[in-house]
Amino acid sequence: MPVKKGGQPPALAEGLWIRALLIAVSLGFLLLFLVLPLISVFVEALSRGVEAYWDALVEPDAVAAIQLTLIVAAIAVPANLLFGVAASWCIAKFDFRGKNLLITLIDLPFSVSPVISGLIYVLMFGAHGLFGPFLKSQGIQIIFAVPGLVLATIFVTFPFVARELIPLMQEQGSEEEEAALVLGASGWQTFWRVTLPNIKWGLLYGVLLCNARAMGEFGAVSVVSGHIRGETNTMPLHVEILYNEYNFVAAFSVASVLAMLALVTLVAKTVLEWRFGAELAAARH
Amino acid sequence: MAIQISGITKQFGHYCALDAVDLEVRSGELLALLGPSGSGKTTLLRIMAGLEHADSGSLQLHGEEALGLSPRERQVGFVFQHYALFRHMTVFDNVAFGLKVRPRAQRFTRTEIKRRVMELLELVQLAHFADRYPAQLSGGQRQRVALARALAIEPKVLLLDEPFGALDAKVRKELRRWLRKLHDDIHITSVFVTHDQEEALELADRVVVMSQGRIEQVGSPAEVYDHPASAFVYEFLGQVNRFDCTVTDGVARTSNGALSIHTDGSIQGPAIAYVRPHDLGLSPSAGGPGRVSGIHVVGPDARIEVDLAGLSLEAEMDRERLSFLGLNPGDRCAVHIDRARVFPRR
Amino acid sequence: MVAASSTDAALPTAGGAVLSTFKKPSVIPGFGLTMGFTLTYLGLLVLLPLAALAVKAAGLGWSGFWSAVLTPRVLAAFEISFGLSLLAAAVNAVFGFIVAWVLVRYRFPGDRLVDALVDLPFALPTAVAGIALSALYAPNGWVGKLLMDWFGMKVAFTPLGIAIALTFIGLPFVVRTVQPILQDLPAEEEEAAASLGATRWQTFRNVVFPALFPALLTGFALAFARGVGEYGSVIFIAGNMPGVSEIVPLLIVIKLEQYDYAGAAAVATLMLMASFVLLLILNLLQAWMRSRHAR
Repeated sequence: MPVKKGGQPPALAEGLWIRALLIAVSLGFLLLFLVLPLISVFVEALSRGVEAYWDALVEPDAVAAIQLTLIVAAIAVPANLLFGVAASWCIAKFDFRGKNLLITLIDLPFSVSPVISGLIYVLMFGAHGLFGPFLKSQGIQIIFAVPGLVLATIFVTFPFVARELIPLMQEQGSEEEEAALVLGASGWQTFWRVTLPNIKWGLLYGVLLCNARAMGEFGAVSVVSGHIRGETNTMPLHVEILYNEYNFVAAFSVASVLAMLALVTLVAKTVLEWRFGAELAAARH
Repeated sequence: MAIQISGITKQFGHYCALDAVDLEVRSGELLALLGPSGSGKTTLLRIMAGLEHADSGSLQLHGEEALGLSPRERQVGFVFQHYALFRHMTVFDNVAFGLKVRPRAQRFTRTEIKRRVMELLELVQLAHFADRYPAQLSGGQRQRVALARALAIEPKVLLLDEPFGALDAKVRKELRRWLRKLHDDIHITSVFVTHDQEEALELADRVVVMSQGRIEQVGSPAEVYDHPASAFVYEFLGQVNRFDCTVTDGVARTSNGALSIHTDGSIQGPAIAYVRPHDLGLSPSAGGPGRVSGIHVVGPDARIEVDLAGLSLEAEMDRERLSFLGLNPGDRCAVHIDRARVFPRR
Repeated sequence: MVAASSTDAALPTAGGAVLSTFKKPSVIPGFGLTMGFTLTYLGLLVLLPLAALAVKAAGLGWSGFWSAVLTPRVLAAFEISFGLSLLAAAVNAVFGFIVAWVLVRYRFPGDRLVDALVDLPFALPTAVAGIALSALYAPNGWVGKLLMDWFGMKVAFTPLGIAIALTFIGLPFVVRTVQPILQDLPAEEEEAAASLGATRWQTFRNVVFPALFPALLTGFALAFARGVGEYGSVIFIAGNMPGVSEIVPLLIVIKLEQYDYAGAAAVATLMLMASFVLLLILNLLQAWMRSRHAR
């Protein structure tokens, strides 16, 4: 959230020394816990030079991991986008019983450990799971294969878009849509021409967060993946394998790509907040 | 008959918003739905537009049963209280919207749409603002865009929900005049909702006074003001003096005997009498029963508070008359009533 | 005189009567479509899998469940996960508060940058954070070496390492929940206190802090909840030794790898229940506070 300086009356500010101390403490804390780990990723990645860095990234298993990450995100994000739009339309535009329950359900993945998010799919589709025997007889493999990764990723990321859009659409109300309907627009026309332009920044913001999480998810995909090199490893899982094999430079090289993705996400997020802060602020509360 | 409403009822949970309302709206007239909040006027308007569903009753628009039709199919123009302009579209696109979303078969060409939109913008005197966004316009300008947008689809009926409610007093007065003139030019059947009795009386051809989901009276502004059908209408349509009295043999008398009014004999027993401040006449009188307790000069008018043996009354007259009478606070005066209405007390 | 009304209007059918008590009739279209899609999506993706969890755990039977769960190893893991999450959340409560204060009230070069950076733990993949922290605090890492040489302290592969990882992960929660409240705090109350003779510290303790405490508690609860379930950031720096530095999520993974589905389900269920109870307590505490200090 862009820093908005708050209501402290200037005449009552704390003494200079206290201020300096508090600033020093905060910066020290953040340096230790945020900046240092971030920098260490890049330092370790480049510790054997650029060539070793590059080699780690073009190595076939790494390339496969990158591809898999992109594929999983390319499926999960649009699916959750669709869900987010549908859920926020029905929650924001209509009044019905059980609305609060629905909203709580949508927040569920945030209160569940990623490992459990993966576990539940193993329990459903794994060899000893609920549908295990059925899937086996059909020759369908979900767990330890890409479909399982996609499912687990969808589970942990589906709230993001909905959580951005619901408060935004609630705040915007339905008057413009009513006006459009009276003027003769159909439901779809109303959505495309009136609602969508009004929510586009919230949508973009939600997609951004959804994507960052989808590409970076570890716990949930680790459980359903089976860790099959070159086949069912996304980038975070590949990082884990490399690290456990003490192949530190390679691990950090791949990790640095993810770290850069995180930084790009942060920058885009900040830019969106600066320029459209007023519209997005509705989503904050 | 442009709009025929019969027996429309609407409940929100246990709350009855409209109770078997019947109304006829004449073709080409400008009709006001007037009443306090909770009277059901906005609900009735929205039902006409198709933005609310009626629980029962019938609505005919130009002879066709309309309750089953969606807002799209009814061809009504609706102007929202807070304009509901599409914030991400320019003024031009806002007004053109209704024309652009028509099915291909019925859609005009781009040039034709442009012509129509510019014509409407000229009509509302906003042609130079075609490329602006709603956020860049004043309240009065936004309201005119909303009106142009509603007119663009050539509606058979125009419905306005407290069209000037969100504007400040001066702009409101200007827009009122302007709307009246517009209506006189284009003669489209229009219904507008307001809680401002001055607005209704000034603008409308006929006024529908509503209270608690029911229609109290329908009539021309002069009719409802001069011949109110009920105590509610009387009180709502202007300032009143009111006091309890008892009617015996056609004469209403206050308990302290200070005032007596001749009635038409149709009422008997406990009653309430209403007198407009303008209909209360005062004259200086040394032994007079009344005493001037306060004088407030408001612009060109003077309001005089009179204490009449325990009754508090307010008279209104213009300043010249006041200085002519030479009344001051504390003076004694005589009070006589030019006109009054008496209603039975429930 | 009831008019002929379409399905949109008075909904005369029995099904319609049910529908109209469930949902307020509206003019805006698309309810059926969006609601149907939403419920299907949620049902297939969330409810069904969670039901599978419940079924699997219930399959053990009441006594089976408890005997699977009340082993020393499991209990130790719970102690570690919940205990260290509490510790990390407490550390974040203190320092996160200070960071929020500094960001909202003071100006210094780079304050915008710092503000954006606070969201890093949200954006950074947990595995990346995990290996970075592990390398940093390992005995030959930048910080680990320092601590070893100066204090003889070992961090990586100990519970302390876990606490540090959990502090990282929970950092943004307190800051982001306190910040907006702090920003909107009316200046008048502080001015009133000052005009009545209170020192800065007294004003802070009696006027400012109580107003911020609910938000602080919320942030604390969120950081705690996140920490309990955290996996990726922790497993690299933890020693993962059963009974000492093994967290509950890891235990679940281990059981899965051993094909002890029922055991994994049981531990997971217990974890969900415990988190739910704790969060419920925190929510009640907040509600109680809100009713006492109703503004």
